[in-house]
Amino acid sequence: MTKQDQITQLLEALKRSLPEVREAMVASPDGLPIATLGSQDTAARIAAMAATALGLGRRIAQTTQLGNMKEVVVRGDQGYFVIYQAGDKGVLGVTVPADANLGLLHLEAREVARALADIL
Amino acid sequence: MNTPLKIVVTGPVGAGKSTLIRTLAKGGYVDTDARATEAIGKATTTVAMDHAVMDVGGTTLHVFGTPGQERFDYMWEILAEGALGTVLLARADRPGDLPKARQIFEFILSQSEVPYVIGVTHLDAEEAWAPEEIALFLRADPTLAVGFDPRDPKDAIRPFVRLLDALDGKR
Repeated sequence: MTKQDQITQLLEALKRSLPEVREAMVASPDGLPIATLGSQDTAARIAAMAATALGLGRRIAQTTQLGNMKEVVVRGDQGYFVIYQAGDKGVLGVTVPADANLGLLHLEAREVARALADIL
Repeated sequence: MNTPLKIVVTGPVGAGKSTLIRTLAKGGYVDTDARATEAIGKATTTVAMDHAVMDVGGTTLHVFGTPGQERFDYMWEILAEGALGTVLLARADRPGDLPKARQIFEFILSQSEVPYVIGVTHLDAEEAWAPEEIALFLRADPTLAVGFDPRDPKDAIRPFVRLLDALDGKR
């Protein structure tokens, strides 16, 4: 199985355990799309933005002495976009609606991020 | 007069934006380098911004550097907000990158018509274009072209000095 297939399977498994997941994507830390469950049209843009948010988050974490960067949460009134660091070669981005259980998402997505880090 | 001025440094990948900001930073600077996964001729690339405070002849500049790739164009827009001047960097030895430089330049000026200078780097390369030629290609004023080495602190300050002159003309 190729890396790409393994990653897509991880994203599909995340969506199976949390059906409210609207979109899930993996990007490189320099903002190029690797895999996405969701719209291909916006994949490149979201990948770039996820890398920007995480790159800036990493610097904010260092500057404010929060240690290593783990995740960034963007909360809108209609949902969340959460970006997880997946080792040093990947970024996981997940979109869920506003009524989703964020604790459950963290539990599942952090596990996926760890698995991604091993694959990448 | 010593009010802080916001300046944006922009231009295509590998033009020397991060190097310039690091060279002139007074105290600390912020970078957001990520490991490059595409062939861009260097190991890391800026994904969000660079930031440093500089002192140019007694004037405090708050300098923000953009990423170079088009996929980060939303950062050009975010960082250009409220900027009073722009330093556009272009490499003298990569004419193939000039259309990208022109696109970024036109985008920034379409946000707000601020004073600018064209900073030209890599002039030591064999096939280098003259700074004035680069400016003409960008449809910019050739008298605002400054050739310089972003690694050398004495030289790196020159585009900012030229920009402050241009700003003084407007104030």
